[in-house]
Amino acid sequence: MGKAGREFNVRGWAFVVVITGVVELVARFGDSPAYLPPPTTILGALFSGLVSGEIAGQAGITLLSYTGSVIVATFLGVFVGILMGAFSTFYNAIKVIVEFLRPVPTVSFLPLAILLFGLGYAMRAAVTIYAAFWPLLISTFYGVRSADPIMIETARNFGLSRRQVLRRVVLPSAVPSIATGFRISAIIALSLTITAELVAGNSGLGHFIAEMERAARYPEMYAGILLAGVIGYYLNLSFRAIEKQLLFWSPSYRSQVVEEEV
Amino acid sequence: MKLTRAIKNNWSGLLVLGLALIAWELLAQRDRSFFFPPISTIFSTFYEVWFSPRFLEHAIPSLGRMFAGYLLAAALGIVLGMLTGSIESLYKTLEPFLEFMRALPHALLIPVGILFLGIGDTMKVVLIVSSVVWPILLNSTEGARNVSQERLDTAANFGLGRLEVIRRVVFPSALPMIFAGLRIGLAFAFIMVVVSEMIGSTNGIGYYILNAQRTFAVPQMFAGILLLALLGFGFNSLFLWFESKVLFWHHGETGQLEG
Repeated sequence: MGKAGREFNVRGWAFVVVITGVVELVARFGDSPAYLPPPTTILGALFSGLVSGEIAGQAGITLLSYTGSVIVATFLGVFVGILMGAFSTFYNAIKVIVEFLRPVPTVSFLPLAILLFGLGYAMRAAVTIYAAFWPLLISTFYGVRSADPIMIETARNFGLSRRQVLRRVVLPSAVPSIATGFRISAIIALSLTITAELVAGNSGLGHFIAEMERAARYPEMYAGILLAGVIGYYLNLSFRAIEKQLLFWSPSYRSQVVEEEV
Repeated sequence: MKLTRAIKNNWSGLLVLGLALIAWELLAQRDRSFFFPPISTIFSTFYEVWFSPRFLEHAIPSLGRMFAGYLLAAALGIVLGMLTGSIESLYKTLEPFLEFMRALPHALLIPVGILFLGIGDTMKVVLIVSSVVWPILLNSTEGARNVSQERLDTAANFGLGRLEVIRRVVFPSALPMIFAGLRIGLAFAFIMVVVSEMIGSTNGIGYYILNAQRTFAVPQMFAGILLLALLGFGFNSLFLWFESKVLFWHHGETGQLEG
């Protein structure tokens, strides 16, 4: 994500090809164990799994439950974040709870979610929403808080009510921060959905990978992992692109791009 | 006193927390819910479970794995990050691979780790390293790439060699970014140790909690979650304190908005 731009990185992909080639040779001709299949076999398994729907269906399940969870978390996080940023009484009241819960890894609550919701969609959605909620909450809060006081005073002088100031001044200036929070949340959410499926789900890509491991169908297992990585990679890329498109006007966006990588 | 000031500044927050806990206690006692035991039961179970040899049996292994993996990953990530950040061709070569590893949900490495290394401590430490190293490496790289050209030129004019420049100019300038990476890495290490213990282990806090859930030992499960919560909170506070000590010279918005 450096300053080099987005031109095709010949050297980098050549390196990937060379490494894959070496692994291929070792796996095919070396004395390698069954759980190190040749990359071409993995790609074959990925292809047939996508065509037959065995892998594609599981990935679809994952993406569907992921998307729903992200939407819910976005509404919740932005809503509570605005309340926290706009009303200091509310902020003071829940600050202690927020500060305590925020650093706690969501996976700690996985057993509780399993106990309450079983192994289906609801359990996975619950942990995903919970994990994705926090970055959105915090970045919305900071976005609302960091609105320029001069702009707010000006708007007040023009006779705008508190509500109008919030809607027309504070929220628009919080958008860059919210967008960054959204990208971070969306990435964390994918990881959480797949982790929940892997640990205890009864469907989805994570569950598929765990099943394939138990069944010793290693090419399929690696194919699932590869697909999950590719999905994560392209989601990350597209969220960045969307952010750039939406926020080209924002001076604070440029300073945010460099910092914090998740 | 710092503590009294902290209480004074947060009195309404503490009040709400207290009320929430009391409401939990009363509702749980009234409903006798199987899923939510009274908070007093959770606290007393917490005391029974963790102020006993079980702490040695489950918590110490988790903490040991986590810190072994974290420290290894930090050393590896910072050193490699300084190199990839200073040598453009190396960065270009590794970029697609690094971006892929960052995007991959790291828990998926666990089945692979179990196949190659079994379910012992080695597997967990290796998995923690292979999850934690990427954010540290990528942030260090970014930090090293953003060192101003003036500083580099000045150092070169003073006749410093390439390694000396990295050690004396690039590394200190990149420290704020390195710390951003270390902070994310700390969270990753904690997540990874818990998940790997849930999937393949015979001890550890993650194993304990999931096992409690499977045997419907609900208060024990909550006691485990509470321990993780306290540890997560404690690590984060400790890290912030350490960061503020090391980066006291760095003016700016460190620790303001993070993932």
